[in-house]
Amino acid sequence: MSPRSLSRISLLFLVLALAAVLAFAACKDDKKKTGATPSPAAIDISGVPELADGKITMGSDIAYAPVEYLEEGTQNPVGLDIDLAKAIAEALGVEVEFQQVADFAGIVGDLKSKRYDIVMSAISITPERQAEIDFVPYFGPVGTGILVKTGNPEGIKGMEDLCGRPVAAQAGTYQVDQMTAANGDVCKDNQIDIRKFPDNPAAVQELSLGRVDAELADDPVAAYSALQSDGALEVAVTEIEAAPYGIGVRKDSAELNSVLEKALQAIRADGTYDSILANWGQEAFALQ
Amino acid sequence: MIPPLAVEFDWDVVGRYLFNPLIREGAWRTIQVAVAAQLLGVVLGLLFALMRISRNPVTSVFSGFYVWFFRGTPVLLQLFILYFGIPQMVGSQTFTRELTAFRAAILAFGVNEGAYMSEIVRAGILSVEAGQMDAAKSLGMTQLQAMRHVVLPQALRVVVPPTGNEFIAMLKNTSLASAISLVELLYASNLIYSSNFKFMELLVVAAIWYLAMTSVFSLLQAELERLLAVGERERPETLFSRALTLMGGRRGI
Repeated sequence: MSPRSLSRISLLFLVLALAAVLAFAACKDDKKKTGATPSPAAIDISGVPELADGKITMGSDIAYAPVEYLEEGTQNPVGLDIDLAKAIAEALGVEVEFQQVADFAGIVGDLKSKRYDIVMSAISITPERQAEIDFVPYFGPVGTGILVKTGNPEGIKGMEDLCGRPVAAQAGTYQVDQMTAANGDVCKDNQIDIRKFPDNPAAVQELSLGRVDAELADDPVAAYSALQSDGALEVAVTEIEAAPYGIGVRKDSAELNSVLEKALQAIRADGTYDSILANWGQEAFALQ
Repeated sequence: MIPPLAVEFDWDVVGRYLFNPLIREGAWRTIQVAVAAQLLGVVLGLLFALMRISRNPVTSVFSGFYVWFFRGTPVLLQLFILYFGIPQMVGSQTFTRELTAFRAAILAFGVNEGAYMSEIVRAGILSVEAGQMDAAKSLGMTQLQAMRHVVLPQALRVVVPPTGNEFIAMLKNTSLASAISLVELLYASNLIYSSNFKFMELLVVAAIWYLAMTSVFSLLQAELERLLAVGERERPETLFSRALTLMGGRRGI
């Protein structure tokens, strides 16, 4: 083997290695920032360690239209939670940076590992979650909607009608908790076959394909899925066991918790909150 | 009678998204991760192969353990341990945030690949007859010099084909990083079909890109093997070399 081709290969190797190291070091990963320039705010955030860098890092499962989702074919987050988060950040005088969580089921763990400052992802406040993190309620209460094929062929009128059927939902959601509770209670002798999926669209697809008889999601999301389905799906039942949405913060983030409360009060007082909700057709679910 | 199949598939949709910016970004990210991880794997593989055949029991056993652990567990598990498990244990915000999905993917795939590469390099070294090492030493070279100037260059020819194979597998394994939401090719197609519900069409788009990348790489690998075979009696022909001949002469390439 010629020494010349060996040294050429070594050179190629070195160039590639250098490029790889540069890429590794430089590339900070896909992040979605807001364009908003923070304006001076009335709320004092000096005592909040998470906001010391002038931005709030928010983890969210951005695949839950219309609460948070990506504009089709792009990486721009849009939705109710997105708009509320931007408004709250502006009230605090900081930028907000959205990050997609790896999967919704792990969102609480990700917050605790300090990957994000807050998590805001249509998270229903439940006692199990409150044991792990604290919440700032901002929306709802929101109930669960049962999505079925148009015409409701299985005649589903409530949770009890799901007994003994395959039903889809996103893994880690409140809907899974509700069905698990039903399996210990009204469906004790005829269990719901709960099929969990990493994201909500996959769960809806299962219903479209007919592999499950129903799909459970939050009311606004179920309604939106029905809307997107061009008449193939409809919402059979709504408002099951409502719970409010909360912004999740770590239990040791007391200062952050209190400034978030203040910011929320500020945007409710000046009408920003109501106009955002009206924009997404969700005025009915304004925080009680 | 055979009932008519309602095949709901739209090639128009495939065409529309084939060069979508998000898809292109995903494909580029896939290549970046695969190349960086493979390089890391080759470096680690070389290191651990040398450690394995060394007479020092500590390095030899350590290398054996490394190969055993990283070949013995699924790479997805290793990726989860790195991205989810370790930040939880370390509990430092800076650490967690510096460990982005991109970096975690390169590290996890690279370290995993190192275990496989070390076995490949070791096989390559074993394929060089012992007489070469003896001859080098009789010329006064140290073990390390002999490795660098005599043994490893000859081992290279045996190492390249399986390494190429590994790289092709690596290109495809990067799709596992979609599980930690890295926007590589598969996840990019997932993001799109999650909003337009055209599952099959977008998966076909991703498949086309993967095939394109692996095919181009296979051609490059064949060329590399041919280059390394200069001076050997039987040199493999590749598409490229046959094309060159057809166009009139090769001038000893």
